[in-house]
Amino acid sequence: MTASTSDLPGADPILAGAVRPDTTSTEERAAQRERLRLLLRSKVFVVGALIVLVWVVCAIFGDAIAPNDPFATDPLKDLTSPNGTYPFGTDRVGRDVLSRVIVGARDILIVAPIATILATVFGTALGLVTGYFRGAVDNMLSRFIDAFLALPTVIIGLLAIVSLGPSRWTVILVIALVFAPIIARTVRAAVLQEREMEYVSAAQLRNERTLYILFAEILPNVMGPVMVEFTVRLGYAIFTVATLSFLGFGIQPPAPDWGLQVFEHYGLISGGYWWPVLFPALAIATLVIGVNMMADGIAKAFER
Amino acid sequence: MKRRQERVDAIRARSTERENHLIDEYRFGKIGRREFVRRAAVAGMGLPMAGFLAAACGQARDPLEQADEAQQGAPSKGGTIRIGQQTPSGALDPVTVNNQGGLTVLGQTGEYLIWSDRDLKPQPRLAESWSSNDDGSVWSFKLRQGAVFHDGRTMDAEDVVTTFDRLADPDNGSNALSALTGVLSKGGAKTVDASTVEFTLDAPNGNFPFLTSSDNYNAIILPKDYEGDWEKTFIGTGPWKLGEYRPGEGITLLPNEQYWDPARRPLSEKAEIVFFGNEQSLILGFQGNQVDYVVQFSVSGGKALLTDPTVVTTELKSSAHRQCHLRGDIEPFNDKRIRQAVALLVNRTNLVDGLLDTKTDIGNDSPFAPVFPSTAPDVRQREQNVAEAKKLLEAAGVADGFSVTLSTWQGFEMPDYAQLLQQDLRQANIRLNLSITDAGTYYGDATYGNSRWLDSQMGITEYGHRGVPNVLLGAPLLSTGTWNGAHFKNKTYDKLFADYTAAIDLDSQRAASKQIQELLLDESPILFTYFYYFLSGAKDYVAGIDTTAMGHTDVSQAGFV
Amino acid sequence: MKRFIATRILLSIVTLLILSILVFVASQVLPGNVARNILGPLADQASVDDLNSQLGTDRSLVVQYWDWVTGLLTGDMGTSAIQQRSVFDIIGDSVVNSAKLALLAFLIVVPLAILGGVYAALKEGTLRDRTISLGGLSATAVPDFVWAVLLIVIFPLGLGIFKPTATAPPGSNVFEQVYYLILPAICLVFVLFGYIARMARAGTLEALDADYTRTAIIKGLPQRTVVRQHVLRNSLLPTIAVVATQIGYMIGGLVVIELIFNYNGLGKALFEAAQRKDIPVLQTGVLLVGVVYLVATLAADILYSVLNPRVRLGSES
Repeated sequence: MTASTSDLPGADPILAGAVRPDTTSTEERAAQRERLRLLLRSKVFVVGALIVLVWVVCAIFGDAIAPNDPFATDPLKDLTSPNGTYPFGTDRVGRDVLSRVIVGARDILIVAPIATILATVFGTALGLVTGYFRGAVDNMLSRFIDAFLALPTVIIGLLAIVSLGPSRWTVILVIALVFAPIIARTVRAAVLQEREMEYVSAAQLRNERTLYILFAEILPNVMGPVMVEFTVRLGYAIFTVATLSFLGFGIQPPAPDWGLQVFEHYGLISGGYWWPVLFPALAIATLVIGVNMMADGIAKAFER
Repeated sequence: MKRRQERVDAIRARSTERENHLIDEYRFGKIGRREFVRRAAVAGMGLPMAGFLAAACGQARDPLEQADEAQQGAPSKGGTIRIGQQTPSGALDPVTVNNQGGLTVLGQTGEYLIWSDRDLKPQPRLAESWSSNDDGSVWSFKLRQGAVFHDGRTMDAEDVVTTFDRLADPDNGSNALSALTGVLSKGGAKTVDASTVEFTLDAPNGNFPFLTSSDNYNAIILPKDYEGDWEKTFIGTGPWKLGEYRPGEGITLLPNEQYWDPARRPLSEKAEIVFFGNEQSLILGFQGNQVDYVVQFSVSGGKALLTDPTVVTTELKSSAHRQCHLRGDIEPFNDKRIRQAVALLVNRTNLVDGLLDTKTDIGNDSPFAPVFPSTAPDVRQREQNVAEAKKLLEAAGVADGFSVTLSTWQGFEMPDYAQLLQQDLRQANIRLNLSITDAGTYYGDATYGNSRWLDSQMGITEYGHRGVPNVLLGAPLLSTGTWNGAHFKNKTYDKLFADYTAAIDLDSQRAASKQIQELLLDESPILFTYFYYFLSGAKDYVAGIDTTAMGHTDVSQAGFV
Repeated sequence: MKRFIATRILLSIVTLLILSILVFVASQVLPGNVARNILGPLADQASVDDLNSQLGTDRSLVVQYWDWVTGLLTGDMGTSAIQQRSVFDIIGDSVVNSAKLALLAFLIVVPLAILGGVYAALKEGTLRDRTISLGGLSATAVPDFVWAVLLIVIFPLGLGIFKPTATAPPGSNVFEQVYYLILPAICLVFVLFGYIARMARAGTLEALDADYTRTAIIKGLPQRTVVRQHVLRNSLLPTIAVVATQIGYMIGGLVVIELIFNYNGLGKALFEAAQRKDIPVLQTGVLLVGVVYLVATLAADILYSVLNPRVRLGSES
């Protein structure tokens, strides 16, 4: 077990047990059904899924659920404390915090998953290549990946965003760029084990094209770790989006992004204006915890 | 009574035509007492004499006098006074400093010819007195005797001349050029004798003394052989001298026992300036008792302080503001009806009462802030009128609205202002896309074609306080102006600007001002919607801190009560 | 063994080289003109051009890169024109500060987390185990700025203890400095506890399952002895690995916490350098973070492999 390659706390090491030996397709389907059953029985997974579901509903139906227009400003009513009309109070330009928290789910639930999917796609491809080819290709790419991983996410994010300008797409790109190498590492380790398997040598003997071997033979067998990595990284993506917004580098005003809301208001806490900070912060925390709980459940399901 | 009148007559007989004109304006009630004293001082009349004339010739007390928050009690000697401010950005070099953090530091150990105080009155410092010729094109300054630099050398006229030559030299790229270009060139200052300096200006300028004052914050007087590296010594003639400089963290100041004015030697044993990276941590630090005083805070960031009973806030009217330019040489703002419509859509009440919690004057779309005496008082104040705005937009053919990008940077209340504008303009279907970056990206290279500030369709730029509006009328609005994000090129305006600058008495200044204000209301190249107050905060156990709307902070007379 | 170490060191050097190129390229990509940033937006173009040639920023990229790297190798980090100080001073000060905070945080979190993780493993499956595991997980999930804000509101502002900024006044002794640093350290404890505890727990579980442990139990040794002599060693190994990787994060990645607490650590220094386009500080600082991380992981890997065989062979007391 080598040292973990993530600079963010919590990245799991390679789950050696997640790599499956060759199986036939009926056996595989049965295994998948078994996994699903395990998942649904895991309390941790279910609770996590419910939390995430609440936010997903907010993201999709936010406009209908939110009691007020999340963009409607009213500076004369700025920073009013929670009351009947505004259960979460108003922010510094008089907007309804509750509505902004509800609608804010949409931005983060779009940006984080897209970024994570991109990271997973790149990372998996990278991991497949480096794990399969070994030798010089693997060495060089691995060095690049190592170099990349030596830097804290925030710094990379900072440089990228200062260069490219803050926008949704920059954030997505940055996260994809930072997480791909981490995923690549995990996938690579899994591929290293897979390539020794018989079905791979069989395919090689059959003179199948390399691309075919990589994506049609090996990939399906490393989907386990890939899935686990995806869900774990998703939690980090949410965290990172919020942090980048908090530094002023993320999604731009007037978007009801949660990290942005904390950024705009954290200086006011000492004046007693806790509500514009607490509620978005709790939203971030609950969503990340929910996703992590789901990731935990999935990891355990794939361990068998 | 008769003796008094004799004395007044004697003074008037000795005074210049301009000074007499000023006295007449005061006698006939055209300017208030405060304003008279101020202008008389600018013109070079000593304050005691101005005060006497004010009493002798004047009306009842000026009802417009604004009440400052008084800091209670008489401060005691000793102790360490700690002030908190934002970290200066860039090096502490008197020539190049261009930010709030830096200027506050310069004014501690450095000293100016004149101190522009909180009422915009010029107080003599290294200049004892000054006067000009009749048309205000040549000014003569008499220097303080016995002022000594921290290294022991006496300050003399040559020090002053080299200081101003250095600032006016285009090769040095000083921040002071923004004030001195077109006013004083390198070589315009000359020594008459060891204690008199004569300034020959490029053009007559009635406000020149302010340009040698703390308002022009780069103008601390330095030794004639100064070559750089101010950070090593903080050399100057001020009441404080350098104890220790910890870059990025703060400065320790010690009293200058050789200071020329015994009445203003520091009361405290030590002064600590503590730097904070941003306003939030500054305010938190202040509340957490890391410092006793906050140099400046904004309404939006400092709401906590405004409601804190242990904090004494000082509010000073100032001319600090935000300019929201509407670039007039490209779509969509190349039709002045559209610009007027935008100006009419803005809800100024929301800004004044809501965004700034009434700690501001309302703006009327010109640089003439209410705090300036030369502002013509009888120009109609523009107010929100959505119906009128829609009519104008329809006449201009954009009744369905349009999209436009508003650029600004992440600082102070500017993002909030941008979002409020966004909502206001929505009413007429104008869709603002906000692009809020960091300051560096917004300013870019600060040249046309390389700067969002100067190239964007619409942008919000912050402008700090100035004692006189000359700079604000010039660079952002002249056809040849270098800060002209609105790309406003109007010959009539250029001529009116020249009229204003040359005007020496208040009447002519106001006349030119009125014309300028009305022209700008009509053309609306830039939205000036508010001139916010300068706010500083002190703990209730300190007193005696003197501050100006620019942020200069004099703690020599500060102490604990 | 020696070959293993030598290979790892060689690989690290290659990585370092690549890192330096990446960092250099990234810094050059930052928008904005170096001299313009120093002189400000109001200086005239001629002065800007002059300063640029003075600083050498108008030379080719390859030349600039070469200068920078050779400078570093000879110990010359250059000067920050924007701050008018040597890069070594700026970064040196900030690294020392970051190290102090990291040390304090580790001193608290490592023993705490190991205890928690081992305890949770020993009580595997019980409510106590779930609480520690999930609690740790939840604490980690909460972004550091949320913790920072909560702690500031509760302690200095609410209860009047500790300080809302982490920078002690100059000349403070160790205890005073710790008093100022305690809140950001607690933030870090929250952030790191879950991860380290989880590692310790996983390692302990694995050790508990191992043959040599079963042998020891069969031999009749009391559980406490078994835990102390065999299990603990094995559970410490992954912890070491984890702690090592976190060092890189602690030295340069704490931007948020350092900003909120106004603490001049390396993260804040780099953040401000990026904002101000202070290229010398940015380049060298980011590279330094990478170096710290690589050295730490290298040390962890070596340490791990040194310790591992002994544990595997089931060494006894």
